[in-house]
Amino acid sequence: MSTPNHGPELHGLLAEFDSASQLVAAAHRTHAAGFRKVDAYSPFPIEELAEALGHHHSPVPLLVLGGGLAGAAAGIGLQYFVSVVAYPLNIGGKPLWSWPAFIPVAFETTILFAAFAAVFGMLIVNRLPQPHHPVFNAPRFALASRDRYFLCIEAEDPHFDRERTRQFLLSLSPTEVTEVAP
Amino acid sequence: MSVDSPHAPLPAPVRPPVIAPGHSASTVTERISNIVFGRMPRWFWLAFGVAFMLVLGLLASIGKLLFVGIGVWGVTQPIGWGFDIINFVWWIGIGHAGTLISAILLLLRQEWRTSINRFAEAMTLFAVACAAMYPLLHTGRPWLAVYWLFPYPNSMNIWPNFRSPLIWDVFAVSTYATVSLLFWFVGLIPDLATMRDRARNRAQKLIYGVLSLGWRGSAIHWHNYESAYLLLAGLSTPLVLSVHTIVSFDFAVGQVPGWHATIFPPYFVAGAVFAGFAMVLTLAIPLRRLFHLEDFITMRHLQNMGKVTLVTGLIVFYGYLVEIFTAWYSGNLYEMFMMRNRVLGPYAWSWWLLILCNGLVPQLLWLRRVRSSELALWGIAMFVNVGMWLERFVIVVTSLHRDFLPASWGFYKPTVFDWATFVGTIGLFLALIFLFIRFLPMISIFEMRTLVPEAKIKESQG
Amino acid sequence: MDRTPLPSLDPAAWSAPPAVHRWRGIALAVGLVAAAACLAGWLLDRDQMLRSWLVAWLLWLGVALGSLSLAMIHHLTGGAWGLVIRRQLEAATRTLPLLALLCLPLLAGLPAIFVWARPEAVAHDHALHHKAAYLNVPFFIGRTVAAFAIFGLLAFLLGRWSRQQDEGGGAASGARMRAASGLGLVLMVLVGTFVSVDWLMSLDPYWYSSLYGVLFLAGHALSALVLAIVVTWLLAGHAPMSTAVTKKHFHDYGKLLLAFVMFWTYLAISQYIIQWQANLPEEAVWFQHRTHGGWQWVALAIVLFHFLFPFLLLLSRSLKQRMPALAGVAMLLLVMRWVDLHWQAAPTFSPDRLALHWLDLAAAVAVGGLWLAWFFHQLAKRPLLPVNDPHIEEALGHG
Repeated sequence: MSTPNHGPELHGLLAEFDSASQLVAAAHRTHAAGFRKVDAYSPFPIEELAEALGHHHSPVPLLVLGGGLAGAAAGIGLQYFVSVVAYPLNIGGKPLWSWPAFIPVAFETTILFAAFAAVFGMLIVNRLPQPHHPVFNAPRFALASRDRYFLCIEAEDPHFDRERTRQFLLSLSPTEVTEVAP
Repeated sequence: MSVDSPHAPLPAPVRPPVIAPGHSASTVTERISNIVFGRMPRWFWLAFGVAFMLVLGLLASIGKLLFVGIGVWGVTQPIGWGFDIINFVWWIGIGHAGTLISAILLLLRQEWRTSINRFAEAMTLFAVACAAMYPLLHTGRPWLAVYWLFPYPNSMNIWPNFRSPLIWDVFAVSTYATVSLLFWFVGLIPDLATMRDRARNRAQKLIYGVLSLGWRGSAIHWHNYESAYLLLAGLSTPLVLSVHTIVSFDFAVGQVPGWHATIFPPYFVAGAVFAGFAMVLTLAIPLRRLFHLEDFITMRHLQNMGKVTLVTGLIVFYGYLVEIFTAWYSGNLYEMFMMRNRVLGPYAWSWWLLILCNGLVPQLLWLRRVRSSELALWGIAMFVNVGMWLERFVIVVTSLHRDFLPASWGFYKPTVFDWATFVGTIGLFLALIFLFIRFLPMISIFEMRTLVPEAKIKESQG
Repeated sequence: MDRTPLPSLDPAAWSAPPAVHRWRGIALAVGLVAAAACLAGWLLDRDQMLRSWLVAWLLWLGVALGSLSLAMIHHLTGGAWGLVIRRQLEAATRTLPLLALLCLPLLAGLPAIFVWARPEAVAHDHALHHKAAYLNVPFFIGRTVAAFAIFGLLAFLLGRWSRQQDEGGGAASGARMRAASGLGLVLMVLVGTFVSVDWLMSLDPYWYSSLYGVLFLAGHALSALVLAIVVTWLLAGHAPMSTAVTKKHFHDYGKLLLAFVMFWTYLAISQYIIQWQANLPEEAVWFQHRTHGGWQWVALAIVLFHFLFPFLLLLSRSLKQRMPALAGVAMLLLVMRWVDLHWQAAPTFSPDRLALHWLDLAAAVAVGGLWLAWFFHQLAKRPLLPVNDPHIEEALGHG
């Protein structure tokens, strides 16, 4: 890697856009230009945006599948252990392993574990909670949770160059390009 | 495209919009978050005060119960399940509409759910909180209930009975409460970030900031977020069906005539949705007026909720009719007696009132005129609220008060503490709703942003 | 700016391809051969033939009634999924006259099928005596005739308004179809419940389950969707439907199929848990017969192939979008619909031992062949898409 020409005090360059469509178009072009350490910020989910940045498959569904399987195993295992091993008791003449009666609880634990996997998996994959992040330093970034759209090319990107990247961003017709302190 | 045949299709019929025209991401943000940042009107505090008084009544009656024992309630042989189970089922049913609106309608891509889902989910949580209180109190000594209910290695060395539907219920309700809370919170995260960014003082900034977990709207985050949210919806849908199914199992897997019926699972689920939508209508109709949210909760929403109420009401009515037919068709003496006793016995008034409230009055919703009148919808919703409470009364009381042995027949009479607890949970529910409105955005802001015209991505090749 | 030009909306462009006539011919030939075998069976073992015929008839009746339900649900709720399969559903509803005809041998031989139809059995049985007010031959026939009249009228009216829509009578027929569908679904559920009690539950007149009607109707909806998927897949291989059916449509059908499989399973397992747990003698014996003496393997097959495998397969997004794969799952489910009906009906006559007669298969193929021939004949009569429906462009632009 060639040593990029930027000072150490920079997190990246942040371009601000007026509309979601502009942001998506800009993301496409940024990705096509070879930038990989890029993130975009929008006030609502935009399906095309992550795709445009080259993120295709979310790992969350796999985590949920794993959580669900673990939950099913836990529910069945718990009931088997309690009803057959730890406390075998004849209740109403039913067999110790009364599998029809064990369906509801196994179902609930499956859902519970899968839901935990969905929520905590999503948070972990996103590295949240993260109280502070450099982009919050940008003065207008608070509007990203309202009605403005941002694209940030991070200084870590091998193609990053303070001047040339700024010129590139300006060519995407943003309303503004600012430097983000780390 | 061009159509050169004479059979050009007619334009699609115009439906009322789900959001009034003229809104943008910024106006949506302001309108909804300003309710929290602004001052609450005087009626709000007045109403909150009334609800809070009821909560105090609830605390007093719970105190009495804990000091004296459940003898202060009207439950006794042969009716061991009285108001507590009636109210438990009533509340948990009300909660179901929230999950239905947020999960099932999301999967069905029904955009109109967006402006009511947050509110309906909050309703779910508070209703489940009210519901969960009853079985715990019914044990008389809730602090001991832990080892009766939850499987853990306790000092008695005994374990719960997993063949009992009551244990299934513990798992179902606690899973439901947990998943509903997660679903609600996950939905709130981006809006909490908005609140953080719009906060007017340090305290607000700090609290909303901590709760928003540092959300910054990153595209990669949204990508995983949407995936998790959809999956949660996919998980919540069978979950919500299972919860009321398991509640129905509490009755149906037993042998008491009037309880043991295989139709119970779908009929309970439909009844839950029916009751829940009635409650959403009960609350949404006044709130949209009081907070001037007619742009977001439009007549289209009210009409659609009216339709869902009609459909689920018909399923419930079907349940009543099938029960009558099956009681006769079974040829079982006790089943036949139970049905006759229900319709003609000492509690017949409750059954006929039930038919009026849940069977007959909702039929008015077939008329479009009725579905487009706020007042009529609200009135019907009140009938349904009462009717669904009566349904559980009929199931619990009329089935138990005369079962197999005439020697053990009896009557049920709720006491003042039963009523104070019931009214108290209504107060608790309303008080929690008021607090929610006061502190959190009651409509999902980020999802409303996706409905405004500027959110449509124009295809542009770069 | 349109991505792909939409296909033309001229009804003439949507007439059935020659393949449909060929399929009709094949179905008719297979059906007639199997029907001839059934005729031989009638002479050899009349009782067995009627019992086999009952299961076969119920399977295809389910496809027709389920199609009527789905069509009505679609009229009420709209959605792109329904427009592309509406003509298949409508053609299936027009098979009701054939099904009425195929029901005649059953009506003629009721005592061979239903114990309550044998006076000597009723005379010595207290329970049957009580139920005789409902379970008697004239009332039974009357109910069946009434059910066919009601379903037939609904199918006829909806079919006619749909044709008027094709001919340009747009808005008015749409409104009429919606109104009739609201009422029609109420009737479908009520009448369908009695059909389920009459034709299936009363095989064992001592057993009862108030869920049964709903389970029966859920099975119908599943059968109907399965047929629609298979036929749509077949049609998608030929012009003109090859231009209309897209991956996304199939993805939607896959999701619907998954939902229907789950709903059916939910009802079936709820009924089982309730009766297993309560363990009342008059109820539990029904499941006792169906989970012993070899029948438990059929029950296991139902759990595996009516629920578990289709469920797991349909979770996959890519499978749902691949038409042949989805059609394969659908065909498996159609077979399982028959297995399920056989499992419910046949143990009545052979409670102790698993029974599968060659006539069971012959009857299923005979009724199926004749039904499909009639169905394809009806399908070819109208344009394959409701081209004048106000939402058709939306539905096709779906891809």
